[in-house]
Amino acid sequence: MSVLDELVAGASEDARRREQSVPLHTLQRMADTAAAAIDCSGWLRQDDGIPVIAEIKRASPSKGMLGDIPDPAKLAMEYESGGARVISVLTEERRFKGSLEDFDRVRSAVHIPLLRKDFITTDYQVWESRAHGADMVLLIVAALDDNSLHHLLELTQRLGMTALVETHTREEIDRALEAGAMVIGINARNLKDLKVDVGVYRDLADHLPNGIVKVAESGVFGNVELERYARAGADAVLVGEGVATAEDHSLAVNNLVAAGARVKASQSKPLSEHQGPYFGRFGGRYVPEALIGALDELTDVYGEAKNDSAFQNELTTLGRQYVGRPSPLTEAPRFAERLNTQTGLNSRVFLKREDLNHTGAHKINNALGQALLVKRMGKHRVIAETGAGQHGVATATVCAKFGFQCRIYMGQIDARRQALNVARMRMLGAEVVEVTEGTRILKDAINEALRDWVTNVEDTHYMLGTAAGPHPFPTMVRDFQKVIGEETRRQLSEEFSIDHPDAICACVGGGSNAIGIMNTFLDDERVNLYGFEAGGHGPVSGEHAIRLTPGTGEIGLFQGTKSYLLQNEEGQTLDTYSVSAGLDYASVGPEHAWLKEIGRVHYGYATDDEAMEAFRDLCETEGIIPALESAHAVAGAYKAAADLKSRGYVSPNIIINISGRGDKDVVTAGKWFGYLTPEQIGALDAGATDHATMPEGTNHS
Amino acid sequence: MKNPQDTAHIAFVHEQDADASVGPNNNGGDTYGIQNPSIPEQPLGFSKRPSISAGRIDRCLSSGRPAFIGYLPFGFPTCADSVKACETLVRHGADFVEIGLPYTDPVMDGPVIQTACRIALQKGEHIADVFRAVQAVADAGGVPLIMGYWNLVFHYGVDRFASDLANAGGAGMVTPDLVPDEAGDWYEASQRYGLDRIFLVSPDSSEQRLKCVARNHRGFVYATSRMGVTGERDTLDSAPEHLVKRMHAAGAKRVCVGIGVSNAAQAQQVGSFADGVIVGSALVHTLLDDSGSNALPTGEGLDALAGKTEELADAVAHSRI
Repeated sequence: MSVLDELVAGASEDARRREQSVPLHTLQRMADTAAAAIDCSGWLRQDDGIPVIAEIKRASPSKGMLGDIPDPAKLAMEYESGGARVISVLTEERRFKGSLEDFDRVRSAVHIPLLRKDFITTDYQVWESRAHGADMVLLIVAALDDNSLHHLLELTQRLGMTALVETHTREEIDRALEAGAMVIGINARNLKDLKVDVGVYRDLADHLPNGIVKVAESGVFGNVELERYARAGADAVLVGEGVATAEDHSLAVNNLVAAGARVKASQSKPLSEHQGPYFGRFGGRYVPEALIGALDELTDVYGEAKNDSAFQNELTTLGRQYVGRPSPLTEAPRFAERLNTQTGLNSRVFLKREDLNHTGAHKINNALGQALLVKRMGKHRVIAETGAGQHGVATATVCAKFGFQCRIYMGQIDARRQALNVARMRMLGAEVVEVTEGTRILKDAINEALRDWVTNVEDTHYMLGTAAGPHPFPTMVRDFQKVIGEETRRQLSEEFSIDHPDAICACVGGGSNAIGIMNTFLDDERVNLYGFEAGGHGPVSGEHAIRLTPGTGEIGLFQGTKSYLLQNEEGQTLDTYSVSAGLDYASVGPEHAWLKEIGRVHYGYATDDEAMEAFRDLCETEGIIPALESAHAVAGAYKAAADLKSRGYVSPNIIINISGRGDKDVVTAGKWFGYLTPEQIGALDAGATDHATMPEGTNHS
Repeated sequence: MKNPQDTAHIAFVHEQDADASVGPNNNGGDTYGIQNPSIPEQPLGFSKRPSISAGRIDRCLSSGRPAFIGYLPFGFPTCADSVKACETLVRHGADFVEIGLPYTDPVMDGPVIQTACRIALQKGEHIADVFRAVQAVADAGGVPLIMGYWNLVFHYGVDRFASDLANAGGAGMVTPDLVPDEAGDWYEASQRYGLDRIFLVSPDSSEQRLKCVARNHRGFVYATSRMGVTGERDTLDSAPEHLVKRMHAAGAKRVCVGIGVSNAAQAQQVGSFADGVIVGSALVHTLLDDSGSNALPTGEGLDALAGKTEELADAVAHSRI
């Protein structure tokens, strides 16, 4: 006799015994006077969370006793206080050590729906469930033939209850659907190692029609499994041992509920309106507790400001009067000709000119937005990191304008490479601190800024320069940069009578200029989005900053966020390399990680060589010197064009985001192309420490 | 009635066909004594192992003193020497050893620990070897904790790390850049293996945050004496004492104080109100030479470490007299 047969036989025998003292007609009278059942099918599917069915379970056939549970009513109340949507009570007596008495005690204690879990094969048991106040019953497909399943399901529904119909295979699912099941439980346990196989679950669940509520039934202990199921499309989960044997039952349920809410929030649509802290499975706040207060404050203040028209007006006015917004959208016909000759397309190319902003890059958009928030928070000290100086200069600029005390952290190697920008920041009144710890580049500057922030968080704001780091930075920085895309759409339409671009190309370091120009277009599927990382000497060289191409970055936690990360087999951060300092970062903003995962943005890379060629192309054809960072987007345009061609485009309209200007890179380019003699280079290097010969250009960070 | 072919393929009785593979976390049977011996245990259950940290702190407190917790980075100056250093701590009076995992980007650490960790990484420290140090501390009679930046644990695999830590006799983990809100998989793994979750709080943490930590922690709470990163300081203000009071009031039974506790006088001061005294940089400092950037020769370093440990242990022992 199989286990199931044995359990069913035992349950039937026990039911027959009960029937002798409480005949069916008595139960039917009880059922008539019982409080009406709650319709659970809607209850088990929520837009903002994964309903948790928490189970009261004393024992199981394999594990024996899990816990005495002397007071099931108290346990049920703990589940309820933790946020359980439904409570499941096992009433099988022989192996699961449950009882109808348990069920009654729970029923009198809580007012959320109750699921009676037993081996139900007879009308008597269904009536009995309703008589005792059940809102749901379990029906096991494997224990029932088609007629019985259909009949019991109908009876359950007629009594106002919802049946959770348990299945394990595709055949069983078909039988359940055929019988009219509306709520289907799927068990996807791999019986070899008892781990849950979400792949099996996904296959089975995919087979279900949309209207059916899908309940994941097996092996949920904590939020790890819950998240996997939720991402595989489960509407609700049933949890037994994971909550019944937890040290703190209410907290255990609460953690599951929170995890479900997180998954749902990260899957919301439309794509352009995601507000963090999570983008899919990326994002979050992986920071010391000491920073949580400041991040909460920033989140709150930004939340208020965002909806405050006075704040928005002030920012827009500053953009117009101080930055020079809108930045132009410039058609690049001679560059397009070069691109078309190479690719055989008939494309038009437009450049979004963030290089024409005050301070020479898009960074000022974010720095101004955050400066207004600093004012709002009443803080007066600002710290920031910078790689080669672009964000450092933008920060120093707004601090000068608003009268904030300003300290910029810069890796020693970067500070020496960019001595002019160090002088420039100092001229703007900032204190520049050279970081001598670690590898002495951008990431070490961020570490040191974080240490400063942990220490001085009370009066200090950390003006992070890119759409990375802990929440709310990725969302907030994106919001301050999304003006780039909004202007682009408007300008394309008003000035060129083009409804929408076919492609957008941007470079991706942390990712703020890219998300800034892409955000507006995320939900417009006609627009192909391309992000280009710094390929350095190529992916196999180990000298690059490619995080999103297979075989490069892996998922990890770095400087406050979960994203793709260049790390070694020990989880230590790898050194990065690029000719462009502004793209030279080991991780990438979490929204990009998510957009890669869902396939909305195509991520590629441009090597140093490709970027330098493109740099020269744009100089020669359009008289525009892009930042080396932006040159990666220009190089990417050739790759995007090839991709568009392979997908059948003939005359695409392509936008390239020129995120910054390249004056700062003229020395690098001059050396690269041999326009400078060694003597001139020597003189320039000497002049770099002479503050008097400072060009207007700036550097990305 | 249908007679299914494979009845075990049902969630309701899913555990039935389990292999007899038994994890390190056997529970149920020995606790309740009702288990059917013919049915194998499922390896995925929650451990019922009581908190090792809480047990040791309570023992210390009942003998009239707080616990003394020493921090050392693993792999500094070498793997073997760091194991010896951990043993030295226990032999000379530390109740706990908080073993730090060296990390390239330690945002909660000041210059001394950064230097030690950099040296460890340069010497080729491997995360998987840290369990040797854990085992050594346990064998020497100390309580081993691991302090790790979360990416290292995440990359290793949270469940795998927790399993290896428990197997080596570890009590739990101090997580400097993991707050309870993000600790879902650690919460689950720590329950599974009976490990302690030691979160940090700082003087400006709100009541709401303290309650959140109180609710989610296991073992004890790590209260930082001031805002900022690890490192020695000449003076301590009243912030830690106030924080310990607030943390107790928020519901944590055991609160230990660390960061900036550098000498015997400070250890004694902190010991008068905290359930445990945590010292890090001051101990690591004894293993560095005068320049502060190189490790001392092994014997010399261990002697200096032993001396400092005894001095601090003595101060902690007399903090409530």
